[in-house]
Amino acid sequence: MNGLRRVAVIIGYEWRRALAKKKFLAMVILVFAVQITGFVIFNHLLTNSPMGLEVPLEQIKPLIWTLEVLAPQGFFTVLIAIMIGGGSMSEEYEHGTADIILSKPISRIEYVAGKYLGGLSLFSFVAALTTVLGVALSIAFFSPQESLQFVPHIYLAVVYSNLVFLSLAFMFGEVLRRTSLALLSAIGVFIASTVISGILAVVHMITQEQIYLDVSKWLPDWCVVNFPDFVTKELNINVPLLGGMFGSTEEAEIFLAGALIAVYTIVFVVIAVVRIIRSDVTKKTA
Amino acid sequence: MSYKSVISVSNLTKFYGDFKAVDSVSFTVDKGTVYGYLGPNGAGKSTTIRTMLGLLKPNQGEVQIRGVNPTKDPVQALQCLGYAPELPNLQAFFTGKQLLDFIGKIFKLTTQDRKKRIKQLLELVGLKEWENKKIGKYSKGMVQRLSIALALINDPVVLIMDEPTIGLDPEAKTQFRNLFTTLSKQGKTIFLSSHLLDEVQRICTHVGMINKGKMVFTGSIGQVLETFTQQWVVEAELEKVTKTIVSSLKKFGYVEDVKVEGNRLKIKLKEKKDLRGEISSEIFKQKGVILSLNLHKITLEDAYMRALKEGQ
Repeated sequence: MNGLRRVAVIIGYEWRRALAKKKFLAMVILVFAVQITGFVIFNHLLTNSPMGLEVPLEQIKPLIWTLEVLAPQGFFTVLIAIMIGGGSMSEEYEHGTADIILSKPISRIEYVAGKYLGGLSLFSFVAALTTVLGVALSIAFFSPQESLQFVPHIYLAVVYSNLVFLSLAFMFGEVLRRTSLALLSAIGVFIASTVISGILAVVHMITQEQIYLDVSKWLPDWCVVNFPDFVTKELNINVPLLGGMFGSTEEAEIFLAGALIAVYTIVFVVIAVVRIIRSDVTKKTA
Repeated sequence: MSYKSVISVSNLTKFYGDFKAVDSVSFTVDKGTVYGYLGPNGAGKSTTIRTMLGLLKPNQGEVQIRGVNPTKDPVQALQCLGYAPELPNLQAFFTGKQLLDFIGKIFKLTTQDRKKRIKQLLELVGLKEWENKKIGKYSKGMVQRLSIALALINDPVVLIMDEPTIGLDPEAKTQFRNLFTTLSKQGKTIFLSSHLLDEVQRICTHVGMINKGKMVFTGSIGQVLETFTQQWVVEAELEKVTKTIVSSLKKFGYVEDVKVEGNRLKIKLKEKKDLRGEISSEIFKQKGVILSLNLHKITLEDAYMRALKEGQ
């Protein structure tokens, strides 16, 4: 019970630490700005359809909230997850503040759990804000909206899928103990994974060999980017633009994506935990 | 839990890669003791302290705080302990009050206890007016004061302080030295690493000396002075120093050497005896006028330098 209390104290601490960072706040504001800009573009496209582009306006309008909620997914939400996870452990070593906390009666497991859960809850909060903003804008400008009972499902799918890069950045932060290196490594993995997926998709188009698509599914970006879309489709929310954006889905793929997210997350978190338990607390490094 | 010593370090060895930072260090600190941990830069003092706190994992040996190993059970071992690091890096986004509150929560203090304790401590360290200012705006001395307050938030039984008065103004130094003495009288055990030997001699009851990772000496202040005292010195200030006075003193069997520094004589004695009577009669005989005559046995600094030299 006392251990849980200490974990809760560290969660609260992690929130304060993150919210005190101007870089983090700027990133969140940027995501909101992108979301609002996206909304303006959608609004323009739907009301002034360009020549040659046939948009099924009446079908999209009642479900526009799904596009709004999922718009930042796959890039901006991943960047926020990386930003939260990457600095969580490493900044404490760089600033020398890890000493202050770990010289107090708290176990390293409690500390790392509080740090991780603090980062996760913070990310969940930011994702909730973007979800609420997307839904609110859609209702305000394109009401009535349909299938709003599934907002929590899609929100949870977004949070769950982003566990992969949140955990990857968290692990890099603990292993490398340098924030810039951790952020670069995690972003590097994300970009490399996206680029390789793209190349494999192109090779698949040329050769029609299924193996290339199958291989791309094991890259971390596949499950992260596609899982919320798969969930949306599983809920029978059929937005025409969404189908075009993400391609067709087999039922088994939602389970594969979900399982891969769980496996990646567990592996990254376990590496971070083993590292902090087995190693020394390094002195100020920045 | 039963334990003999409040702090027990046995056969502690710590490597950084191939470099042996601490080499088979052993010492114990008993209840109510003020233990000064001395050594030059890079001697292994901070490594020892960080291992005592469980921040570093020893390659060999063991540390126990009140019978509990902080590496194995930090929650129990550190519950009764307060730590003030050297040149602390505190969370700059907190105010002083918020940081004390946060650390108080880790120590499981109740809201009421934290409120009361924070008020007391901020007054004690002279930061009451700065309690709601961000730590990022504090001066080095203020950070040091806050660090000492942090170390006291849980009313600890054992205090570990790494150069606690560094960066403090002379008035604050005196204030904190008095505080440490008061805490020691209350039965708290204090482990203090310092470069300021006169400070250690004034506050500490026991000392440990470390050089190049090896323990050179551990014992009471009296023991260290006794162990490393080779000779006593009589310092005489005269109205005028003459050659006859110097040569007559040199002829004495108990005088090893006489040095002249202006109108002062530094007379090194062969034996550890107070021979001021004999020396003053000899100076009078040679018609010298004595302004002052003092016997210097040995300072902690002398003992420290000698200990390091012998330890090499």
